[in-house]
Amino acid sequence: MAFETPSPTAKLSIQSLSKNYVIDQKALRVLLNIDLDVHEGEFVSIVGRSGCGKSTLLRLVSGLENDYSGTIQLDGKVINAPSLDRGMIFQDPSLLPWMTVRENVAFALVNQNIPKAEKDKRVLDLIDLVGLKGFESAYPKELSGGMAQRAAIARALVSQPKVLLLDEPLGALDALTRLRLQNELQRIWLQHRMTMIMVTHDVEEAVYLGDRVVIMDPEPGRIRRIVDVPLPHPRDRASPVLHAIRDEVLKDLTNGVVI
Amino acid sequence: MNTAVLTDIRPTTGDRITKFALGLRGFVIPVLALVAWQLASQQGAVQAYVFVPLDGVFKSLIEHFADGEIPINWLASLGRTASGFAIGGLLGVSLGALMATFRPVDVLVNPIYQAVRQVPLLGYIPLISLWFGNGEPSKLLIISLAAFYPTVLNTYEGLKHIDARHVAVGRIFLASRWQTFRHIVLPGALPSVFTGLMQAVAFTWLSSVGSELFFNPGPGLGNMMANGQAAFRMEVVLLAVIIIGVTGYVTNLIVSKIADRVLRWRNVR
Repeated sequence: MAFETPSPTAKLSIQSLSKNYVIDQKALRVLLNIDLDVHEGEFVSIVGRSGCGKSTLLRLVSGLENDYSGTIQLDGKVINAPSLDRGMIFQDPSLLPWMTVRENVAFALVNQNIPKAEKDKRVLDLIDLVGLKGFESAYPKELSGGMAQRAAIARALVSQPKVLLLDEPLGALDALTRLRLQNELQRIWLQHRMTMIMVTHDVEEAVYLGDRVVIMDPEPGRIRRIVDVPLPHPRDRASPVLHAIRDEVLKDLTNGVVI
Repeated sequence: MNTAVLTDIRPTTGDRITKFALGLRGFVIPVLALVAWQLASQQGAVQAYVFVPLDGVFKSLIEHFADGEIPINWLASLGRTASGFAIGGLLGVSLGALMATFRPVDVLVNPIYQAVRQVPLLGYIPLISLWFGNGEPSKLLIISLAAFYPTVLNTYEGLKHIDARHVAVGRIFLASRWQTFRHIVLPGALPSVFTGLMQAVAFTWLSSVGSELFFNPGPGLGNMMANGQAAFRMEVVLLAVIIIGVTGYVTNLIVSKIADRVLRWRNVR
């Protein structure tokens, strides 16, 4: 397997971050006073009900949106535009339908001055890493949902980002594929030890993968609580500690109301 | 992956015969029509004039191929169609792209384009013959317009409806303006552009024959038809109709095959 050496990682620092959207000339507060430090090589999960601004938070960190107050810094540098330092994976794989898997993964390096031979090698290594060997020449329409998301993961990793941002990456997949890809994500993370921040609706997934779980409240979006998951990786799904933490997070999310 | 339960789905000889037989279904109505035609032509002298006996049509086909009448007229119509398609298509794609890219062009040109488009091409024939005469330029103008309208519209629509998610992908990977155009905008608009070009192929061929009927001088299948009618030679008229139909059918088939190849990534549901 390629990339035995860990990728460079980075420390993300978010301080009193607020964000408003203006809708019909009225300001809508999406995020209010977010403070969050993510350590190098840490896996942070973010959970919260719809409308708590968790996806917006990720878009701000990615640089796709840059209209905010407060500071977002990566290794001390202010973030205000997309950069290959930060890879992004959406719920929708967003592959370009006219490109093969190989071309899609290579597109991440479209504006990089890398010799073709090295580019090709990196692309093929990552296709191998996500388990898509043999599908290099397939078009997205020929892939299942899980395979398409694997391709999107390969594309996000090929530029060797320091931080990987995942916006409900497995949300559209069936339960079995989802479990399998959770394990894959954990394996990739263990191999690369890059910083990962994942937004999810699935508390079990958040606890299983995260070193810490950030619980957010909606309207305006703010951090309610941060829960530590002090278990080593790779983890055992059946671990009683894991289940206890999951129940606690679930309880907190639902304000103690039993669903 | 479990492959053990997959059945063999390769076609058998029986399947191929069935497929061939099903393919013949398209010929049922034409063959019936030909039989009825032949029967009608045998009812008397008047009927034989209107419904030319089929052997007469076939004889005339051989004869006019040999004396060059069919090749000359056929090539003239094809050439005219190709020129009009090239001129109108090129201008149409360019204007559609300009309108989609530059807002001032859109604001200035779009209303006029939409208004002009409401008048059928035939409606412009009196004006065009007044301005440009009865000859080749007028025909070419009509045919170019037939290619121009659908290509403007579909190029514009294609470029205006690029998937925002694909544009975001370009931004994330820091694609330059040119790279974004080359790898995201252009391929994203291509299916729609092709729809326009396919309509243009069909419309130019129709308007080519039409313009030959309305404007007189020069060779062409439309003229061959008109001359046949004037000389009371129904078999020539009939031949022209058949050649026009078959040519149109074949060109459409070729263009749609090209589109299937170029747009093979497309998810056809």
